[in-house]
Amino acid sequence: MLRKALVVGLVGAMLGCLVVAAEPVTIQFWHSMSSGHQPHLEALVAKFMEENPNIVVELTYQGGYGDTEDKVNASVVAGSPPTMVQLYENVITPLVEVLYPIGPHMTQLEKDDILAGLVENNTFDGVLVSVPWNKSIMILYYRSDLIDTPPTTWQEFYDMSADLTVDLDGDGIIDRYGTGLRPYNPEMYLNYVVQNGGSILNDDWSAVTIGETEGVEAMEYAESLVPYSFISSGYLSDALGAGQVAMFVDTSAGYYYNNKAAVDNGYTMAVSRVPVGPVNGKSAIQGTNLVVFDMGQTQAQKDAAVLLAKFLIRPDNTVYWSLRGGYLPVVKSAYNSQVWLDYVAEHPEAVVESEAMVDGFAQILHPNYGQMRSALGSAFEEVLLGASTAVDAVANLVVELEALLDY
Amino acid sequence: MRRPRLRIPYEWKSRSFWLESGQAYLYLLPAIAILAVFTFYPFFSAFRLSLFKWSVVHPPGDYVGLSNYTKIFADKWFWNAVWNTFYYVAVSVPITLFLALLIANLLNKPLKLRAFARTSFFLAYITPLVAVAMVWSWMYNWHFGLFNYILGLFGGSLVNWLMDPKLSMLTVIILSVWRFVGYQAIILLAGLQNIDKMYYDAAKVDGATGFRVWWHVTIPLLTPQIFFVFIMSMIGSFKVFTEIYVLFSGTPGPLKSAETLVYYILRKGRFDGSQLGIAAAASVFLFAVIFAFTIVQLLVTQRKVHYQ
Repeated sequence: MLRKALVVGLVGAMLGCLVVAAEPVTIQFWHSMSSGHQPHLEALVAKFMEENPNIVVELTYQGGYGDTEDKVNASVVAGSPPTMVQLYENVITPLVEVLYPIGPHMTQLEKDDILAGLVENNTFDGVLVSVPWNKSIMILYYRSDLIDTPPTTWQEFYDMSADLTVDLDGDGIIDRYGTGLRPYNPEMYLNYVVQNGGSILNDDWSAVTIGETEGVEAMEYAESLVPYSFISSGYLSDALGAGQVAMFVDTSAGYYYNNKAAVDNGYTMAVSRVPVGPVNGKSAIQGTNLVVFDMGQTQAQKDAAVLLAKFLIRPDNTVYWSLRGGYLPVVKSAYNSQVWLDYVAEHPEAVVESEAMVDGFAQILHPNYGQMRSALGSAFEEVLLGASTAVDAVANLVVELEALLDY
Repeated sequence: MRRPRLRIPYEWKSRSFWLESGQAYLYLLPAIAILAVFTFYPFFSAFRLSLFKWSVVHPPGDYVGLSNYTKIFADKWFWNAVWNTFYYVAVSVPITLFLALLIANLLNKPLKLRAFARTSFFLAYITPLVAVAMVWSWMYNWHFGLFNYILGLFGGSLVNWLMDPKLSMLTVIILSVWRFVGYQAIILLAGLQNIDKMYYDAAKVDGATGFRVWWHVTIPLLTPQIFFVFIMSMIGSFKVFTEIYVLFSGTPGPLKSAETLVYYILRKGRFDGSQLGIAAAASVFLFAVIFAFTIVQLLVTQRKVHYQ
C-alpha cells in the first residue's frame, strides 16, 4: 500500500514538474533595432519561439539607443523593467545590482566561445553579467580608385593623407582631404592611445594614465593629421560621396552607407585594418549587449530570457544577424562556420572586419565612463579645431578625469 | 476680555453659492489633475532632485544638499551655456520682434497677394522644427550650401557656418528669426487690425502724419500684443534646444559654442551618464532666471501697456 502510494506520489510529482515546465511564460524584450534591422530580429525571435513553444517573446521597439536607455531607467525607478534589453556597457554599469547575471547560467564552453574583448566588457566584478550582441569595429575606409595599397602604419597613414590632400582647381581652397576626422568621436582618440600602448586609467581605476607619454603622443598624432583632415561633426559618408575625402577610420557598421555614397558617385571603396600604431593595431569595439533584469521577474521569466540571450549569440544566429544587420559575430566558433566562411569568400571586407573584431579592445566599465567619454571627446575636439594644443588638451583632460575617479 | 467675533461672509449662507462653487471646482478638476501630474509634480520633483546625487537603482540617491549647485557653478561649461543662452535671447528676441513689427505693418497695407504673403510667413512657424533645421543644415553646408553658393556668386569666400565656433550662435539666431518672425507678425497684425480707426482720424485732425502716427498711435495701442509676443518669445528663447541639436548633428556645436542651458541640462541628464541631480540643479537655475526676467518684464511693462 505504502509502495503504491509512493509510486503514485512520485508520478504525480513528476507530472507536476512537467506541468510547471510546460507552463507558458511571456517575456518582454526591448530593443532599438529600427526598420532595417527589425525584420531580421523578428525572424530570429520567431525561430526561438518555434524552438521553445512555451515561451512567448514580446518584442518591442523602443526608439534609438538613447530612448531605450531613458525608458529602461524610468522603468527601473518605477520598479518594473522589462525582462530583457539591449544596452551599452556604460548604461549597464549602474544597473548591475538589479540584473540577473547570464554568465553563471552558461557552460564554460559557451563562455569561452565569446570573443575575449567582448567578455571583458560584459564582466562586472568577475561575473559575466551581460552578453555581447550587435557589435561593430573601427576599420579603415579608402577610395580604391585613388589608393592601390592602403596605409598599414601611422607613418604611412600620415604620409598618404598629406599626399592625397589637394587643391584640384588651384583656387587656394583644398578640394580633397587625405583623411577625415570627427571631433565628437572619442573612440578615434582612444584607438590612437591604445595603439600607442596607453590607457585611460590604470587597472584598478585608482589613477588617470592617459596623461602619460603614450596618451600625449596619441593626441599629437591626431593633431599632426589636422591639416590633411576634413573635419565634420556628422558621419563622413557625405564627404566621401562628394569626393572631399580619400580615406578615414570609422565603425564597420557604416559600411553600407559609406559604400553606397562612394558607388552612387562613381567611386570605388574598399576597407582594411586600421593602420598599426607603435605598439599594436587594436581597434575600439562598439555596439550593445543583452541584459536580463532581476527586479520583479519570475524565475521562469529570467530563465526564458537567459535562454533567449544564449540563443541569440549561438553561432548560427550570430552569423545570421551579422550578415543581415551589418554587425560581426560575437562568438569564435561563428567565424569557422560554413555560412560565414562562404560569405567571407565573397566579401573581402568581412575578412578585414573579422580580424579587427577578434583583435578589438573594449571600453572600460568605470561607473563614470559616460562623463569620462564626454571629457575625452571634448579634448579631442579642442585639438582638432585648433582651440588647444595636444599637450594642453591632455593636461586639462587629466584634471577632468581625476575628478571623475571617485564613484 | 472680549473675543473678536468671527465674521462669516454673507454669501456663504446661500446654498446656491456652495452649489455653484462646487460645480466650478468640479469642472476645473480635470485640468487641475492634468496640471498636477504633468506640471506641478515634475516642477517640485526637479527641486527635490537637485539636492540628491541620482541613483537609478536607489532613487533619488544620496542627499547631497547644495553640492549639485556648487558643482554647476564651478563648471566652466555651465557658464558657457549661460552666456550662450543670454546671447541668444538678447540678440534674437529684439531682432525678431523688430522685423515682425515691420512685416505686420506691411501686411496691414492693401497689398496684392496679401493673403499669400501672410500664409507664407506663417508657414515657417507651422513647419516642424526638426524638418526646418535639417533643411537649414544643408543650406549652411560648407561646400554645397545655398548660403555659400550665394556668397560665391558675389565673389565671397566660403564660410564654414557649422564648424566655426565664432559663427555657431549666429547660425542658430538666423534660423530662429526666420522661423518666428512670421508667427509674431501675424499676432501683431491682428493687433493692428483691431485698432479703432477713430484714433487715426483723431490724429489726422490734429495734423499728425506718417511716422508720428505710427509712433504715437499705433505703437502705444499695440503694446498688449507687443508685450505678449515679447514675453512669450523671451521665455521660448531661454529654452532653445531643438534647432541646435539638429543643426549640429546632435552636438552642441563646435567646442560647445552653441550649447545653451537646455542643451547643458540634457547633456548632463542624459548624454553624459544620467547625472539627474546636476541636470535638475541647472533646471532650477534656468527656472529662476526665466522667473526673474518675467517678473521684471511684468513690472516694467505694466506701466507701458495701453489698453483701448
